[in-house]
Parts: sequence; structure tokens; C-alpha cells
Amino acid sequence: MAQTINTAVTRTDAPRKVTGTATYAADFMPAGMLHGALATSSVAVGTLTGMDISKAEAEPGVLAVFTRETLPDYKSVKGFYAGGPGSASFWPMNESQLRSYSAGPGSASFWPMEDARIRYAGQPIAYVVAETAAAARRGAQLIEATYDIAESTIAMDPADSFVIGAGDDSDGMVITKGDVAEGLSVATQIVDSEYVTPFQHHNPMEMFSATAEWRGDRLTVWMPSQSVKTLRSGIAKAYDMSETSVRVISPFVGGAFGSKAGVTPYTMLTIAAAKAMGAPVRLIVTRPQMYTVATFRPESVQRFRIGADAAGKLTAFEHIEISQTSQFDAVVNPGTHITRAMYACPNIHTEQRLSRSDTNSGGFMRAPNEMQTFFGLESAMDELAIKLGMDPVELRRVNDTDRHPVADVPFSSRSLMESYDAVADSFGWANRTPEVGSMTDGDWLVGYGCATATYPTNILASNARVRMHSTGEAYIELAAHDVGTGTYTIMAQIAAARLGLPVEACDVVMGEGDMPVAPLAGGSTTAASAGSAVHDACLKIGRQIAAQVSAMSEGPLSGVDPAAITLENGVLKASGGQSQPLIEALASTATGQIEVIGEFRHKAMTDQMIKTTFQGGYGSAGPVTPEMAMFAFGAEMVEVRVHRWTHEIRVPRLHGAFAAGTILNRKTAHSQLMGGMIWGIGSALHEVTEIDTPRARFLNTNIAEYLIPVNADVREIRVEMLDERDDYVNPLGVKGIGELGIVGTAAAIANAVYHATGKRLRHLPIRTSDMV
Amino acid sequence: MRNFTYHSPRTLADALDAARESGGDILAGGTTVVDLMKIGVREPAALVDITGLTDLEGHEIGPNSIRFGALARMSVVANDQELVAAAPVLTESLWKAASPQLRNVARLGGNILQRTRCPYFRDTAYAQCNKREPGSGCAALDGGETSHHAVLGGSSSCVAKYPGDWAQALIAFDAEVHTQGPGGRRTILFADLHLMPGDTPEVETILQQGEIVIEITVPVVPALKASHYLKARDRESYAFASASAAVGIELDGDTVRDVRIALGGVATTPWRASAAEDSLKGSPLTEATAREAGRIAFAEAQELEGSAYKIKLGADVVAGALMTAKSRANGGK
Repeated sequence: MAQTINTAVTRTDAPRKVTGTATYAADFMPAGMLHGALATSSVAVGTLTGMDISKAEAEPGVLAVFTRETLPDYKSVKGFYAGGPGSASFWPMNESQLRSYSAGPGSASFWPMEDARIRYAGQPIAYVVAETAAAARRGAQLIEATYDIAESTIAMDPADSFVIGAGDDSDGMVITKGDVAEGLSVATQIVDSEYVTPFQHHNPMEMFSATAEWRGDRLTVWMPSQSVKTLRSGIAKAYDMSETSVRVISPFVGGAFGSKAGVTPYTMLTIAAAKAMGAPVRLIVTRPQMYTVATFRPESVQRFRIGADAAGKLTAFEHIEISQTSQFDAVVNPGTHITRAMYACPNIHTEQRLSRSDTNSGGFMRAPNEMQTFFGLESAMDELAIKLGMDPVELRRVNDTDRHPVADVPFSSRSLMESYDAVADSFGWANRTPEVGSMTDGDWLVGYGCATATYPTNILASNARVRMHSTGEAYIELAAHDVGTGTYTIMAQIAAARLGLPVEACDVVMGEGDMPVAPLAGGSTTAASAGSAVHDACLKIGRQIAAQVSAMSEGPLSGVDPAAITLENGVLKASGGQSQPLIEALASTATGQIEVIGEFRHKAMTDQMIKTTFQGGYGSAGPVTPEMAMFAFGAEMVEVRVHRWTHEIRVPRLHGAFAAGTILNRKTAHSQLMGGMIWGIGSALHEVTEIDTPRARFLNTNIAEYLIPVNADVREIRVEMLDERDDYVNPLGVKGIGELGIVGTAAAIANAVYHATGKRLRHLPIRTSDMV
Repeated sequence: MRNFTYHSPRTLADALDAARESGGDILAGGTTVVDLMKIGVREPAALVDITGLTDLEGHEIGPNSIRFGALARMSVVANDQELVAAAPVLTESLWKAASPQLRNVARLGGNILQRTRCPYFRDTAYAQCNKREPGSGCAALDGGETSHHAVLGGSSSCVAKYPGDWAQALIAFDAEVHTQGPGGRRTILFADLHLMPGDTPEVETILQQGEIVIEITVPVVPALKASHYLKARDRESYAFASASAAVGIELDGDTVRDVRIALGGVATTPWRASAAEDSLKGSPLTEATAREAGRIAFAEAQELEGSAYKIKLGADVVAGALMTAKSRANGGK
């Protein structure tokens, strides 16, 4: 059997996707389905004083207009989001954090439509149900609301920030090692700079939707989800139901990027409306509403003070991240715990701070929070290299380390400089002349820039069911998710490699809450964690079949000590040299088929972490365990051109080299990394959710004016995946690559813009308007 | 979207009747009208779909004039290689607009009537918009985000930017618009078609209700051949102009005999920079005089918060476009 791991395998779901037969959540249309539409608040802060729904009710096709007064059942439900990413149990936290988190990432600690208070613009105020989607939307447009408007502010004030949690080393929000002031006092050069990143929205191509159907006390919800377990447990707790009464179905997801990770207001409203109507209801959220009914990337300020001696060795490292959150949730995506792992330094201080403003709650967005923090960190490192007169790559080399600078444990593997060397070679870094503005081509100013990429290796408990038939087929089932990344394919590859079957004979079924537990598709966890559970299931099959055939009176392995038999590429091999293909051995058993549950549990996982994951939360044992620090690394280099007349910034070349342990599928991994790098171009040059300050509203809520790169913006992208072996992270040696590609891009581009023009831009995006 | 009556006439006479009787909007490619209906900004009781009037398709390059049918598709015209050679500004300004999908659908008559992308106009959640609700105020000028708004031609009522590209080529080259309406057929100088906002930003053109654009003509002059549309934008395609310039020149030796300059992405209407043209006529075109022309083009500009960049950028774009036009006048690219 061909080696199926670390090869380029075409997606097994590709034919279904290109022929339109892949079923996304909104494609499920239960019989008798009605259509929902949201009406949202036009003001940001205040009180809803009245609502005229008569025109909406009179609109042909409209069946019901639910307001906070008329939506039945709804307000009696307690514990909204409990168990989901809105709950304290979503993140493993100590007691002081529990008190500080009013809710949790990506949540709302109040019920939508629970009272007359308006907390942010775009808050749901009514839910219209109609016979057609068009009638429902028209009905929502016709609702006339009146408000008492109060003062509001949408941009955070970084001067008014706070630390959640204990404020000391106990919970990781504030960390001090050594003495930064002393480190700065002995530094030859100091960078003291602030970097600002904007609000951004995920804008997945697949719109947000939820379809709910009640049958008696049993509920089915179809909704695109990165975490069907979170969704199921959150809904069950909110409705005080058993989890087994709630079915959550999400077989395909058309882009998520963090926006489909949680239970949302529109989910709960749709479930309530379906109950009230006694009929299934489907809601498809409009594009502008997508900006306020789920999450977004909060704006942030990244403050760095970095000192170095004349040789470039860091003497002091301080990073204070201030991230925006809503008035009612304390959403924190810790970014400082990654930046402080990057470079050797004896004196380190980091702080994770929040600042409140009047928005819905933010959440995760690829890559949380490394896109923001590494724009700051890697711009600061570039500024330091310039002050020191050093090549920026050499500055990283001088400060490379094989031990975590704070935790003082070794990295399980760290190929940062190997990545730099590989990308420097492919890119031609040696051709760079260091002087600013020294490289031109006709009307174009040319600049080269580089930056480090990293992503923590998060590992979570996972199960997987694998059933193998002696006819040569395997069935793999787990509550993992394919958010467009190729998960169906890699799970089939793992099973195929272990069981000795063709990839196409391994049928993978995922995306339902009732399936064996797998973690949220976020934080680059799925391949490492869920993949390891599939791997474990296959080894279990090997052991159980070995035990059966060794006990038989005849056969190649008859009488062999089963403990001496291992499964290698679909062949049972005894230490004495005897062997038998697994499929043959299986055929000789009484049933001719076998089904097992595989488990991934890492020795660094505590019981609490495992329990958290099983309850739909995020119980990661990474990235720092008591014995190891686990991170994937990479390096990116970019050529930027700035036009003399139009001042346009273009990116003709972007190269990256990455080391992330075992690469399961060289094709889908390449696509993931390339996609991340392209998104990085967008973050650097295009993406920003513009804001209307006086009325505290997001402004460019459509994808004509919310700019992301188009094909013409993406020229040469080269991705190199280095061989790296890591036996610690998990049995497959996989670190995860979903987020890694985007991390270094924005800083590399900002550094190249400086090299081309001498303009140091410390905010994103960098636009034509910054170049004149 | 409000329910509406749909008319699909087969003759111009039927279309005029349907528009007059229904009071509805004219629908061609629909890239503006349908969009605005979906977001509740336009709520016409009826649509008169004129795409069945196939006589209005097509375009021809004549010896004295180039004629564009109102229903010619942007993509078809942009890809006409004969036109590319004869009048590059007319094709470049089309293919640098919108996206391929939009260009395949959108028609030229509708293109010139494209409505502003001002977010306050487009979002009915904002109570203030004089263009949408006359007399309601201007959210942009009331502390709003104005980095994409007009620095030329604005008023205290409205600073919404005219978003189009092709119109800059038309105004620069003295195009005419031929219409048929309740009052019969008439010819309008393109420069007279659009109205500055003044106190009535809701009135954007001099067209009457039910008046249909039939065709657009552009007189052939030597400067058309050495013309160029330069568009600065924040991404390489499918982005509205941060600033743009439609230019053309005719040289007599080193001296400028004729020059055309129009500005996009910076003004409330298609914008001819006549003073900048005057500064160059009879003078040599050098990088210095081109930059001076750019500066003069924006001499009257009034910056809003965040839009100062448009004045510097726009001037540079004018200068850069002129240098390309000069190169073309001298037989280059």
C-alpha cells in the first residue's frame, strides 16, 4: 500500500463541492420550513421605547413578528451559552479569572431581546417569520423602532484599560521575569513603539444561518459550525434539555475563520421562533447583519519596549497588549503568551489588557491573536535591527533559543532559523541592499521585508470511531469539522495508511454533535488532536485483531504472543518475522468486521482539560506543558512595490518556509499555508472594518467596500514545508498549520514598505493614503 | 425589498409609456438599481426593464464620432481592440471599473448614472442623509467617516462622491448624451448631465422621470489617441478609485496643443479640471509642468477629516497620467 501520509492527496470531497452536492447547513430544508429574518437596532446605546410592527405584520407572507414581549418561552430560559464559548467553562480558568470573565470569548452575557436595553448597534430587536425569505426580510425592514439614545463610543480608549484576572503571574495575564527596567538600562539600542490593528470581520463566503426543527421535546439544529459539541451543549443547557435530545448537524462549512465557533443570538432566536411557530424555521443572516450578530477581530494596541546590546542580544522585552472588548463581556484572546516565547531574553514583562467600548463582543479570527501581536513584535524587531545596523534575519538568529524564555522548558522542536535559511534561499534575500529606497524598478520603489511566523501547538482530547470491514472498507466517524481545509481527506489518509486501505475506501463522516467527541476546529487543533484519535483507533483495531488471530488454531500468526505483534501500513507483523495483512486477518475472524473508539489523551492533559473539551470547551494542554513548549515556526519574506505616481502598494512576491512537524497532506497543507499568507496580504494592505464614530456603528458592512485581496493582488506565493520530526506533541507528530501562514505576513509587508520608502507604518492596514 | 410591478417592453415607445404610466425606475443591467432596492434605499413601485430594446446595444467608431448604445455592455466595449487603439481612455476606464462579473452585466447607460457608494446614503439605519431623505442632514459631515468622500464639488448638504470611472473619460472628451423622454428626444452635453449637490443633493442629474438614455457619442479628436486613464486604488481590481485621472494630449512638437484632464474618486460629480488644462496649453509638457497641472486641478479642493491624502494623491495621479499620455503621443505605450 502506498504511503498516504505526507503525500499530496486531492480532497476526497472535491467532486461533491464542485458539483454542488456537498450539503451545507442551509441546504437542509425540513418539510414545512418557514423563513426568519432579524430586525436590528439602528442605534448603539440606549433604550428601546417603542416598536411599530403593524406594517410588518401587514406585509403579505409575514406570519409572525416576535419582539421581546411576544417571543414565548424565551425569557424563561436560563444559563444562556452555558458550556459554550460564552461560558466560563469554555476556557479552563482559575477562580480569580472565573470571577473576572463575565462570560467568555465570543459570547454575549445577556439574552438578545431579553430587555429594552440597547447595548450596541445591530443588536437584534425583533424576529420576523414568513412564508418566504423575501417576505421575512421585507417585514424586518418595515419595523419602525423608537429609542432613547444614550452616549456611545465604538473605538476603545487605550488609556482606559484593565487587566482581567489576578493581575499577577498566577493566570498568565501578567508575567514578569527578571527586571525590564534594568534590562533597558544596559541596552545599546531600544525600540519603544506602539502598533495599532483595526477591527476586522471574518466575512466567510457562506453566510451565517441556522435552521431549527422541534419534534416534541427533541430539537434538531442545522448550522455551520466549527464546534458542534459546543453548539449542542450550549443549546441543551440554555433549554435545560439533555444533550441527547439535541441534534446539531454541520457536515460542510463554507469558511469560518473563528466566526462560526459559538452559540449565537441568532441561533437561540431561531430555535425559540421555531418552537413558537410549531414549524421548522430557517434564518439566513444578511451580510450587513453578519457584522453584529456574531464576532469579529477586536481592534488592538500592541506596545513594545525591546532593548538589545551591541551584538543584538535582547536585554529587555516588554509587551503590553490592549485589546477591545464589549461593555458586557470580557473577551480576551491572549497574545502575549506567544510573543514572550519567541526570543531569548533575561528580562521579560508582558501584560494582557482590555478596553471596553460599545460593540457586540469580539472573538477569535484567524490567527488569534498572532496576526495582531506579530505585526507589532516583528515590526519592532525590524526597527531594532535597523537601529543596530544588523540584517533583520541575523537579529532573529542571535536571539534564537531552544528553551522557552519564561517557562524555561525546552521546545519540543523549533526550526525557526531553518525556516529563515530556507526562505532566504528561495526568495533571494542576499540580493537585498539594506539602504532604504535603494532598490527601484522604473516607476516602482522596491522593498524586501521579513518576519517570523509561529503558532502554538494546541492539543485537545479527542475520540474517533473507526469500523473496518473485511471487504476492504473503513468507516470513520467523529465530531470534527471540515471548514474548507481538507479534514475529510486527512482523516481518510490516516486511516488508509494505518489500515492498509486506499484513501477512497475510507469513508469519513463528521460534523454532528452526536458523534464521538472531537475538538473545536480552531487554534489549529483538528489534525493534531482528532487525527491522533483516528490513528489510535486504527492501532486498536490492529491489537484486537492480533489478539484474535493469535488465539486461532491456524494462520500465520497463530500462537504468537499478541503483545509482540504490531500494525505497520496495514500488515500485522510479529517480532519473530511472521506477518499477515490486516484485511486477511480480519476476514478470518467470526464477524469479518471490527469497530472501536480511538482516543487521544496526551500525558500533559489534566482531567480538568479533558472534561472541559468533552463538555464542548477548549481544554488545550498546549502550548506549554510542565516539560515542553510546543510551537510551529516559520519565516516569511516579501517583495513590495510602491508606485511613484499612484502610491499604490503591490506585492509581487511572497515566500514562506514553515516547519510544523508531520505534514499529513502536502496539497491541502500547501493550500492552508498559502491561504493564510494571502489573508496576511489582506490584513497588511486591505482589511479594515471602518467605523462611524458619532453613532458607534460599523460602516463598510459589505464585501464591495470591506476590501480583501482579489486574484490580481496575489502574485507569486511560494510555500515551502520543511521536514520536522516531533515525537512529543502527539503520536502523529503533527503541530497544526491552520493559522501559521498568516502570522508573519503583515509585519513582513510593513517592513518591506519601510525598506522601499522609509515610511514606518505602525498601523494596519497600510493604504495608498499612507504613502502620499 | 418592496414588491414591485415588472415591465419588459420590446419597443422604445412601449418603454416610455410604461415608465410614464407606472412612475417606475428604468432597469438595464441592474447593478445599481437592484442593489439599492435590496438594501431598501430605492423602493420603486415598478421597474421598466429596457434590456429587451436590443437596438440600443452595440457601438461604432466613426470618422468623426464614436457612438455607444446605452445598452452596450461594459465588458464588450472594454475588449474592443479597435477602440483600445483609437481611444485608450475609453476602454481603460471601463476595464479598471468594477469586477469582470459586474462588467459583463452592467450597461453603459446605467454606468454613467451609477449612484454614490456613500455608506450613509446606502444604510437606512442612518437617519441623516440629505440625498436619501431631503432635509434630514448629513451624517458624513456630522462627525462621520469622510476619508472616502469628495474634496471637490461638495456642499454643506452633501459630500458624497461620484463613484464612476468611465464618466471621467466622457467629460474630458466633450461627450454628448442622447435621450428620449416625455418631452421627446434631446441631446445633453455630458458635462451638463450631472448636478452638483448644492442644497438639493437628491437631484443628481437633469434627466426627467421616465427619460431614457439612448446613446452616448464622443467626438473624435487627436488627443483621444494619446489618452490614458490612471486609477489609484487600494487593491488591484474591484475597488473604487482613491483618485483617478482621465487625460489625453495632442502635441505640436514639444508644445501642448490640446489637453484633457478629468478627475475621478475625488468629486461629487464627473469633474473636468479646466484650469489645469489651461495651464498646459501652449506650454511644453514636462514632469514639472505636469505636477503643476496636478496641483492646479486641486487648487479649489476642500479636505474633510481623513481626506487630505486625496489632494496630494490626486495631483500625483494627474501628473503620472499626463506623463503616460505624453509617451503615447510620442508613439510609446
